[in-house]
Amino acid sequence: MVFSKHYKNFCVCFLLLVLSACGGSDDEPSPVDGDTDREEILKHWVDNILIPSYTNFKTKLDVMVEKSNSFTGSPDDASLVEFRNAWIEAYTEWQKVELFEFGAADKYTLRNFFNIYPADVAGITSNINDPSVNLALPASYPRQGFPALDYLLNGIAADDESIVAYYTSDPNAAKALAYVDKIVLRMNTLLESVMAEWNGAYRDTFISETGLDIGSSMGAVVNAYVLHYERYIRSGKIGIPAGVIGTTVGPTFPDKVEAFYKRDISRTLAKTAHQAAIDFFNGKSAANGAEGPSFKSYLNGLDAKDPNSGTLLSTIITNQFTTINGKLDQLSPDFYEQIETNNQAMVDAYTSLQMAVRYLKVDMTSAMSITITYTDNDGD
Amino acid sequence: MRDYFKKTTSAAPLAVFRIALGMLLFLSIVRFWTKGWIHELYIAPKYFFSFYGFEFITPPGQYIYILFAICGLSAFLFAVGLFYRVSSIALFVSFTYIELIDKSTYLNHYYFISMVCLMMIFLPAHVYFSADAYRKKSILADTIPKWCLDAVKLYVCLIYIFAGLAKVNSEWLLHAQPLRIWLPSKNDLPVVGSLFKHVWVAYAFSWLGCLYDLSIPFLLLRRSTRIFAYGAVIIFHVLTAVLFPIGMFPYIMIATALIFFSTEFHQKILDKITSWIGGLKSLIVVRKTFDHTPANGKILKGLFTVFFVVQIALPFRYLFYPDELFWTEEGYRFSWRVMLMEKSGHAEFVVKDATGKITAIDNREFLTPLQEKMVATQPDMLLQYAHILRDHFSKQGWQSPQVFVDSYVVLNGRLGRPLVDPLTDLALQEDSFQHKTWILPFENEIKGL
Repeated sequence: MVFSKHYKNFCVCFLLLVLSACGGSDDEPSPVDGDTDREEILKHWVDNILIPSYTNFKTKLDVMVEKSNSFTGSPDDASLVEFRNAWIEAYTEWQKVELFEFGAADKYTLRNFFNIYPADVAGITSNINDPSVNLALPASYPRQGFPALDYLLNGIAADDESIVAYYTSDPNAAKALAYVDKIVLRMNTLLESVMAEWNGAYRDTFISETGLDIGSSMGAVVNAYVLHYERYIRSGKIGIPAGVIGTTVGPTFPDKVEAFYKRDISRTLAKTAHQAAIDFFNGKSAANGAEGPSFKSYLNGLDAKDPNSGTLLSTIITNQFTTINGKLDQLSPDFYEQIETNNQAMVDAYTSLQMAVRYLKVDMTSAMSITITYTDNDGD
Repeated sequence: MRDYFKKTTSAAPLAVFRIALGMLLFLSIVRFWTKGWIHELYIAPKYFFSFYGFEFITPPGQYIYILFAICGLSAFLFAVGLFYRVSSIALFVSFTYIELIDKSTYLNHYYFISMVCLMMIFLPAHVYFSADAYRKKSILADTIPKWCLDAVKLYVCLIYIFAGLAKVNSEWLLHAQPLRIWLPSKNDLPVVGSLFKHVWVAYAFSWLGCLYDLSIPFLLLRRSTRIFAYGAVIIFHVLTAVLFPIGMFPYIMIATALIFFSTEFHQKILDKITSWIGGLKSLIVVRKTFDHTPANGKILKGLFTVFFVVQIALPFRYLFYPDELFWTEEGYRFSWRVMLMEKSGHAEFVVKDATGKITAIDNREFLTPLQEKMVATQPDMLLQYAHILRDHFSKQGWQSPQVFVDSYVVLNGRLGRPLVDPLTDLALQEDSFQHKTWILPFENEIKGL
């Protein structure tokens, strides 16, 4: 009987309470094992996940910058292909850092300048003709970053030959190449700014904010992580193009898939982003692949579990991640094609992602007792 | 009974209570203002959630600052005892008006303050040691009917007892919920922090908290246990102030509990203040009893009886509703249920119309984070929000919009589950005191009160 089991637990605890009140012994063994030291978690995140992930991404971006320079210096078939391959590599690696939109990245709103899609083609065209345009304004978000490069490298003309032709003989060629230079340089500068913050004094500030209120580091990480998972993985990559509205499906928007002009990398990008979310949940080090303090270990340390089945919440979440991976694997590498041929598979992937959103956004944050506002409350 | 109502007592305790309450409320208003919460809570939101039956209370826009200024000023005048009738009424009305603007800011301690201010309008707290009595010696009196002081004591006792009874349930006592969730989140506090990873600490806090609430009124009433009890009051409320973001409430309760102390104690406080400020001697040494006229006395006793009957009945109104109180929250407010739930949720709304238009709602376009949190877990607010959406889209030209919600709520560490039937068109549902049949069953049991 459940009640008697709880009653027994309660008696044990009450006994412990009485004993400790009498004996005053402080070194009672903790009934939960695992790590609830938030400072350790924050340290692990910054030193073993964030900074190495940004460093990995920087390496790929550096190659892209170099290939971009070669291309804009002398656009031809070979330099286009090399630039495009470097762009794919960097875009894929970006998926492993996009989720860190807190702290330094949040200060620079890095995502806004790297990956807001669908690309605004009319805006890109007008920016090409206006070299003095301000790229920091919200209207400019979808006119730069990886989605703009997607258009400029894959969509500006029908095939490679005509793309190279555009950059060599179009009246606008010089301006367009200058725009490529400009946005690539901008990505590099922004990334360097964010990395400089993490490598500087900000690291210690971040680690010292060990509370869980709204100004705290862990609160910021949880909120950013959940927001990323919900809006940028579930909705951005799958839900919006598949036309999912709540629990129903409306008209589809296959032109809103990520990397719409390249097309056949949309699944790779989605899977990479999702795997990055899983790895972060597990605290997997980007430096050596070993798992460390994380959401998972913290939830286990809190002994968060479904009281009915006794299953750990972290296990429930991990199982859901596995289910989602299975759904993503069934999709075409080209989400555009997937939506046009069998959108139901996209909707199924969305539905399983939605379940994970609930676990992460509600069950996990509640178990961790994350606060969302500054104002007073008396616990409802 | 008749003899009881003839008894008199010193006017000092009620005067000290008036001063302390007024000063703390004045500070509360200043604190609220300086933190920028007036703007955040009463100007920034696009929509407000009125209480059922109080829809005529609307936010006054920028004039909210005037309302807060009136509230602060009247709290100060109340403390000093100047224009007491006007200032006590102004304090009650302005404070209560503010609290009725938006349900999402509801706190039990605001309700406590509203109700105490309401009582104070009718109590002779200004006849002694007040600016009014200084200006008009004819109202000066140093004894008052005993029931007038006892009314305040009774109210404080009721609050503690109801708060204690609300903890007599399986969640609080058998599972140490929600403290076992909340305490580990404070494990970075110096000294005590490392204790919070132990589950037995959550059990100890739960049991001691419950015992505290249930016993403290009696321990404060008895002279022999009073000092010990007051020590417990200080420790308990300071601890809650450290652990939880509950603002001024702990300090207000610490000050309020002084009312149980002897009349001599309060007289000493007033003597002390007199010795600091010269020229008040004449306020202390009097031999006069304040009393109501027989007609007024009768009316007042009647009103107070009604007040207490309502206060005792309200916390039990949940018994008229089916399913679990913590889940439906039908009859939850105004019942001294404090810190009982770690409840959070996620609600995604979809609006459709007859012509086939359909859209998913980004709650952040309509609600503040605080409102979004409350809407996701409290069915009555969820319904109000659905109506806000319905009316918004009607104005946009949609044909009889329908509103559906995909909701998910977790309560005290259980795995989450949907709160509302996703197939119910909330645009058609009306709020009432009836049970909301579109709330999905909790299918779990919380034993106890």
